[in-house]
Amino acid sequence: MVLQDLGRRINAAVSDLTRSANLDEKAFDDMIKEICSALLSADVNVKLVGQLRKSIRAQVSFKDLPTHTNKKRIIQKAVFDQLVALVDPHAEPFKPRKGKPNVIMFVGLQGAGKTTTCTKLARHYQTRGFKACLVCADTFRAGAFDQLKQNATRAKIPFYGNLTQTDPAVVALEGVTRFKKERFEIIIVDTSGRHRQEADLFNEMVQIQKAVQPDQTIMVLDATIGQQAEAQSKAFKETADFGSIIITKTDGSASGGGAISAVAATHTPIVFIGTGEHMLDLEKFQPRTFISRLLGMGDMAGLVEH
Amino acid sequence: ISGLFRNVVGGKVLTEEDLEKAMKGMEEHLLNKNVAREAAVHLCDSVKLELVGVKTGSFESIDAAIRQAMTSALAKILTPTSTLDLLRSISAANEPSALSRSKSRPYVISIVGVNGVGKSTNLSKLAFFLLQNDLSILIAACDTFRSGAVEQLRVHARNLAELSSREGRGSVELFEKGYGKDAAHIARDAVAYAASKNINVVLIDTAGRRHNDTRLMSNLDNFAELAQPDKIFMVGEALVGSDSVAQARNFNAAFKGKRTLDGFIISKCDTVGDMVGSLVSMVYATRIPVVFLGVGQHYGDLRGLSVEHTVKLLMQ
Ligand SMILES: Nc1nc2c(ncn2[C@@H]2O[C@H](COP(=O)(O)OP(=O)(O)OP(=O)(O)O)[C@@H](O)[C@H]2O)c(=O)[nH]1
Ligand SMILES: Nc1nc2c(ncn2[C@@H]2O[C@H](COP(=O)(O)OP(=O)(O)OP(=O)(O)O)[C@@H](O)[C@H]2O)c(=O)[nH]1
Ligand SMILES: [Mg+2]
Ligand SMILES: [Mg+2]
Repeated sequence: MVLQDLGRRINAAVSDLTRSANLDEKAFDDMIKEICSALLSADVNVKLVGQLRKSIRAQVSFKDLPTHTNKKRIIQKAVFDQLVALVDPHAEPFKPRKGKPNVIMFVGLQGAGKTTTCTKLARHYQTRGFKACLVCADTFRAGAFDQLKQNATRAKIPFYGNLTQTDPAVVALEGVTRFKKERFEIIIVDTSGRHRQEADLFNEMVQIQKAVQPDQTIMVLDATIGQQAEAQSKAFKETADFGSIIITKTDGSASGGGAISAVAATHTPIVFIGTGEHMLDLEKFQPRTFISRLLGMGDMAGLVEH
Repeated sequence: ISGLFRNVVGGKVLTEEDLEKAMKGMEEHLLNKNVAREAAVHLCDSVKLELVGVKTGSFESIDAAIRQAMTSALAKILTPTSTLDLLRSISAANEPSALSRSKSRPYVISIVGVNGVGKSTNLSKLAFFLLQNDLSILIAACDTFRSGAVEQLRVHARNLAELSSREGRGSVELFEKGYGKDAAHIARDAVAYAASKNINVVLIDTAGRRHNDTRLMSNLDNFAELAQPDKIFMVGEALVGSDSVAQARNFNAAFKGKRTLDGFIISKCDTVGDMVGSLVSMVYATRIPVVFLGVGQHYGDLRGLSVEHTVKLLMQ
């Protein structure tokens, strides 16, 4: 599961240090070293790890600590703070409003899990009393129409797609217009996978966005992504200005450091995580609770609020 | 002069200490290229071991010596020990020599991998390549789980059939039994059907599976048993980070020692620029060679591996 291993290693490094008899600067440096290699093994962006190393050093400032202070607590808090900073961009995620149409557009790299997650999210809102529906604006990928349609049917969610129209912006607009007329509250638009290296594909994303004017664009990121996460998510951010991130496939064994780096690179919050291939495999994401649970630091969240 | 020659250690015998710091830089370089840390550390250690006690050339810096050694280490790990001549193997199965006394049969390739990496798309590219070589193909839709998986292949089969009939080369057909059925049995039936129709190659698509899902992974063994594929190719993604190591290892071990994977298809190489490190990680983890690269979303976007070019990308 995402970040679990990382959490375990960081946890061990911190408690090794705080339990050791002589809590000196060398031991502190060793701890930082261990934390950094754990982060690098978890695909956290190489540059980001460098920054984090500096921040922990600066926050603790080991040399200047008076001898009697509770070093253990200060070090724990510094590590916790820096990890939270990594996944918590302090931006409020989008909240749909009842009684009006909320258009949500999905974007992301090929195979990230957009189509699967669209239905999960529609269903999430549906069970919370929203009138939800799905629009297939992927006119490129073979079988994309049937994939979304079959999922929508299974979840009993109305679906719009058009097998003869090849322009995704046109289909998207057709679907959104129709569902707005029918007073749907959550209108989710699925789009094809794309990447920054292909300008035409990014252009197409802009066209769809112009056509449907989404209230929220969500970037879907695969938890296994490595060092390309930063460049790709930055490019998507610059072009589509997405307002939230969903990380998928967190049920795999990937540490998720790449996806986490995308959060840091784009200052955009993770709102949900995908935990499996089935419709119900979606969880809300709260950075603080997540990190403290991860580090087994039940009391840390409280400590940080002060 | 001193500025110009600062890094030059002509004719110096390299010590572990000399190498330590420079190797850290090399390790970071590889991590930046998306080589998994485990693989990067391994490569750096082997280069260090090789260089300790070596005398550098008369105007060679430590960095240059390390670059040189890393370049050959990468080339070595990526170069397959045996060459795969797919077309020849196919014809050997289809038209066995009289000496071998085996019966003519279809050649069977199956494609495995984790979710969403590009299995079905690269299977279709492989079909396109084989059609260009005048072969008849049966595509077996053995992903009976994911919504739209069957329709996806139906569209590809239809497109490919149109292309091949237009060019008058090869032929392609889809074998499908809808959703929910046991994939291994469909695969076996597809092979039997291909044999009865004298079809040259069967390409079996499978559902994406998490490599840490023991139930789904153990199905692979049964699948290989029933379908008896000549080749099992795993699709791995260029985008994936250090999970590549565990992905490759677990798929390679899924056949309980009875067989291994036969090669990797590394997909989405067009999405990573020069960060092609996952290629190295997967080969490092298994010593299974990379046989194809996926470089785009169209049928023609399949390439053989150029070790030289890949190493150049990794070292630049
Ligand atoms: N294990 C697991 N698999 C997932 C999850 N989310 C999606 N998948 C699988 O990932 C694969 C790709 O998902 P899709 O929804 O088709 O991805 P996409 O982003 O729409 O792909 P394109 O439209 O081709 O770009 C499918 O096999 C899904 O079942 C998840 O949270 N966990
Ligand atoms: N850019 C790029 N995209 C690719 C490449 N290969 C596949 N894709 C895209 O990746 C996405 C997923 O491809 P699929 O072939 O459906 O992947 P899969 O592994 O069969 O997925 P599941 O069956 O759901 O596990 C599609 O949008 C493909 O077009 C490639 O080499 N480059
Ligand atoms: Mg999709
Ligand atoms: Mg597939």
